[in-house]
Amino acid sequence: MKLDPVTLAIPFFIISILLEILLSRLGVTKANYEVRDTATSLMMGFFSSIIGAIPAAAIFGVSVWVYKYRLLDIPMVGLLGVGAWAALFLLEDLTYYWFHRLSHERRFWWAAHVNHHTSQHYNLSTALRQTWTGGVSGTWLLWLPLSFIGFPPAMVAIQKGISLVYQYWIHTEVIRRLPGPIEAVFNTPSHHRVHHARNPRYLDANYAGILIIWDRLFGTFIPEDDAEPCRYGTVKNLGDFNLLRVAFHEWIGIGQDLARSRSPREVLGYLFGPPGWSPDGSRDTSHTLKAKWQARQAAQAQASAESAPMAAE
Amino acid sequence: MTWAQIIQIVSVAGVVAMIAAAWWAKIPRPTPELDPARARDLLAVEFPDNPINDLWIASDGAGAVARSGTEALVVYRAGDGYVARSLSWADALIAPVQSGHVRFRFGDFAAPRASLAVSGINPWPPQGHQAGLAA
Ligand SMILES: [Zn+2]
Ligand SMILES: [Zn+2]
Repeated sequence: MKLDPVTLAIPFFIISILLEILLSRLGVTKANYEVRDTATSLMMGFFSSIIGAIPAAAIFGVSVWVYKYRLLDIPMVGLLGVGAWAALFLLEDLTYYWFHRLSHERRFWWAAHVNHHTSQHYNLSTALRQTWTGGVSGTWLLWLPLSFIGFPPAMVAIQKGISLVYQYWIHTEVIRRLPGPIEAVFNTPSHHRVHHARNPRYLDANYAGILIIWDRLFGTFIPEDDAEPCRYGTVKNLGDFNLLRVAFHEWIGIGQDLARSRSPREVLGYLFGPPGWSPDGSRDTSHTLKAKWQARQAAQAQASAESAPMAAE
Repeated sequence: MTWAQIIQIVSVAGVVAMIAAAWWAKIPRPTPELDPARARDLLAVEFPDNPINDLWIASDGAGAVARSGTEALVVYRAGDGYVARSLSWADALIAPVQSGHVRFRFGDFAAPRASLAVSGINPWPPQGHQAGLAA
């Protein structure tokens, strides 16, 4: 599709990454690149575009089929078209928020999304570390209601592409903070750094695509605290840069857990529980990691409160 | 030439150029050799609830093993980052040493094994734990 925003943006991706590397090499900006990490991100992105193209036609076909039964006739052009684009902008971004939240909070979909979070770096190349298994995870179904409402499937596809391109440039440490009103409304490098952080306090936050307002609305917004710099990657980082490990490690983990399951409850828990769910609670989830962090904070606060009067004496 | 072919060629050329630029720039994060203080800092981040009873550092400073009760906490460098996993201290003590490296297995596809450099000065198992090994 010639209009596909992601394809059109490829030269921009290449030039901006080369610039981020060059300017950091010259000391103008501060970004870190590790060769194998960069190669892994770029190869994940390149093969994702090839693998993703296989089910893309079928997925688009399904949305065209759903569109046949649409509730409304929504124009793409003209005065009404402008309103339609504005409405789609909001609805697609809301859909993205829930897709992304599901992709973090339920293991089956996390298995397809985790690869994007496996880099211990946060630079523009990290943005291109894209999934190979998004098609099989079925999350594309979440966008079908938009076609059912009456947005033409091509229009939805273009808006999805615009969202993906928007999310590219926020993968950088070079931009620290943008003006307040922008940080209040839009997903920014600062907000998305928090999303990629593995610090317990930052887990499961900032699922936004373009607008951060959804996180503020649904209670998943966490601001970046300069006192606690983001450490990037997953809670349990990968042991090497093997592409197959990046793409499939969580799927294999699910398979191993299912093989040792002893009840339907365990099967459901391992598949659709939060990542890290285990029958006896012996593994950590985002929730338990946050609880432990909070307990440490509370213990620290109590210890310093107890030592304060002594210090005053 | 079709549109798809042009995209493929541009993409491949771009990937090669970007990897070459990252190689040329040499701007990874600094990873100085681990000393006891750095290793403890790293372990405190990776295993914040585990007290450290004993600490062993790989001879090339690229990894460390800490005993925390009956657990062995392992951290090792991968690229310019670190990976952390644990295994039982009993299993860690009997980990094989081959070609100057002690090899730990974690039973985790995401990080199946770690290979930490051993030298005469810091042998594996650590001295002082031979009794524990025998028991
Ligand atoms: Zn994510
Ligand atoms: Zn991201």
